[in-house]
Amino acid sequence: MALLKVKFDQKKRVKLAQGLWLMNWLSVLAGIIIFGLGLFLKIELRKRSDMMDNSESHFVPNSLIGMGVLSCVFNSLAGKICYDALDPAKYAKWKPWLKPYLAVCVLFNIVLFLVALCCFLLRGSLESTLAHGLKNGMKFYRDTDTPGRCFMKKTIDMLQIEFKCCGNNGFRDWFEIQWISNRYLDFSSKEVKDRIKSNVDGRYLVDGVPFSCCNPNSPRPCIQYQLTNNSAHYSYDHQTEELNLWARGCRAALLSYYSNLMNSVGAVTLLVWLFEVTITIGLRYLHTALEGVANPEDPECKSEGWLLEKSIPETWKAFLESVKKLGKGNQVEAEGVDAGQAPEAG
Amino acid sequence: MAPVLPLVLPLQPRIRLAQGLWLLSWLLVLVGGLTLLCSGHLLVQLWHLGTFLAPSCPVAVLPQVALAASAVALGTGLVGSGASRASLDAAQYPPWRGVLGPLLVAGTAGGGGLLVLALGLALALPGTLDTGLEEGLGTALANYKDTEVPGRCQAKRLLDELQLKHHCCGRHGYKDWFGIQWVSNRYLDPNDQDVVDRIQSNVEGLYLIDGVPFSCCNPHSPRPCLQSQLSDPHAHPLFDPQQPNLNLWAQGCHEVLLGHLQGLASILGNMLAVTFLLQTLVLLGLRYLQTALEGLGGVIDGEGEAQGYLFPAGLKDMLKTAWLQGGVARRPAPEEAPPGEEPPKEGLPEA
Repeated sequence: MALLKVKFDQKKRVKLAQGLWLMNWLSVLAGIIIFGLGLFLKIELRKRSDMMDNSESHFVPNSLIGMGVLSCVFNSLAGKICYDALDPAKYAKWKPWLKPYLAVCVLFNIVLFLVALCCFLLRGSLESTLAHGLKNGMKFYRDTDTPGRCFMKKTIDMLQIEFKCCGNNGFRDWFEIQWISNRYLDFSSKEVKDRIKSNVDGRYLVDGVPFSCCNPNSPRPCIQYQLTNNSAHYSYDHQTEELNLWARGCRAALLSYYSNLMNSVGAVTLLVWLFEVTITIGLRYLHTALEGVANPEDPECKSEGWLLEKSIPETWKAFLESVKKLGKGNQVEAEGVDAGQAPEAG
Repeated sequence: MAPVLPLVLPLQPRIRLAQGLWLLSWLLVLVGGLTLLCSGHLLVQLWHLGTFLAPSCPVAVLPQVALAASAVALGTGLVGSGASRASLDAAQYPPWRGVLGPLLVAGTAGGGGLLVLALGLALALPGTLDTGLEEGLGTALANYKDTEVPGRCQAKRLLDELQLKHHCCGRHGYKDWFGIQWVSNRYLDPNDQDVVDRIQSNVEGLYLIDGVPFSCCNPHSPRPCLQSQLSDPHAHPLFDPQQPNLNLWAQGCHEVLLGHLQGLASILGNMLAVTFLLQTLVLLGLRYLQTALEGLGGVIDGEGEAQGYLFPAGLKDMLKTAWLQGGVARRPAPEEAPPGEEPPKEGLPEA
């Protein structure tokens, strides 16, 4: 009782082989697209690795690149097999390889599905990496003289301008760190000395933000310093002022950007996975249909194609039996050796 | 009637011509498509920068004409490839016979005219762009503070975004901001003595300061951005206004935008020149192929040698023929004209 039996005559077999050949070459194209998407994702992660402490995981883009390459290889091979399937002489040389090849294809499809799932699940790990990385990045904002960190100010400024965000969770994060380098502080001024004495670590903390937090949509020129002091600016109330600075934190902005990117890549990968599954099923039908050709001399005869020779529970039982036999086979051999040794001893 | 620039085309050279023409036509299609994309890109860029170009400045004409010209070139390329393919196959050629003549005329007149116009506009662009940008940027700077005036409320946001994106400050430098009032009156405290002093210090009653908006700030600077009191050397510690510094963007937006748009226009001009060259070659090739096949009476595989030419007779002769044909249509007495022509023609071979 075969699973999903379909009758094939010569014409249908030829059509199936031709259709599969076309689909395989389209799938090579899809594999190239997946490769390209993986590469793009890797480059995007690399571009902002400063914001993630250089500790972000490249698992997803690397696996996408690998899957793309494998897909190209497998599908071009399958295309060649389908092309040769119409010629019995050429097909004969592929016959012994087809069953293991189909098993490898099924494995490949499972792995592709898992990679597509990973695209959607990466968001969680990215969130914690970003929070950590941005915090450290902001700490090094003032170190424009320290070699190895002198670029951090420029990177964070460009990030805040490009992604329209300010600070880690909001602009108040800048109040808690010293973002003005000591080199540009006038230590003879009383105000500076007061501020430095006012906290335990001796840091110059201000209620101000860098210029890159400014929102161009504000109707008034940007207020960057003395943000919590209403009397310092004319007609200003810091509780109700919304347009002066960017309201979003850079962690949320970057996370939403990468989530959107990964979701689109994941959706494309799922579509490609569906396509690959269709191709594998088609290849299986072609394989069984060509196996079922009773008389190899008469190409016109009808045959049957199926997915599994027996129904699923019977196939599973047969698979378990073969695994047990493998185990028993070793046992029988061992017993045979013992039995052979016993008479010798006796 | 001597044909203009005749070329003898036996069968093999005819086939070679058709094949070469097919390749050239697809190349023309490719280049035409790229020119189409390039002119579309320029159109989009000009649309984005519309606020900074004076409305009286007809800069958008160039990309529109270039779009039309490249579309015609694309069409010519497709026609050329179809016709050259058909000329190799006896069954496919007859439908092309009637259509090819008018198409060639349309391609030469329309395509050639548009391309020459577009090239001319591309050369004339820098001048118009200069004046347009000067006026447009000046207006934008003056309207920066008018965030409450309907029709001008977007000027601040657009100018800030322009300075942030193109890395420029002011029209020709950051000092342009010192000469205009860029802080809205709504946010000036009338009771503050400093504000009153500044307003009274100039004839027009403007609040002028030696400061710039935040969008002029350069992120490459090692110190936090200094936006105010830029002319006072003592206002900020360790700041020397004479030194070239990284604090603000050094370039003015006029130069940056001019360079950017001129670069795009020069690329477009180069592509238009290449399209013009390719289109001329394709049209010439098509004309020779058409006249050679007409000479054979439309028979493709004819082994006979046909002559291809550009025009059946010189310009003077063509005008005469056209004039005479017009005369024939009006007066039913054609005998005087042809005998009058014969003696001079017979005189020539003897001489």
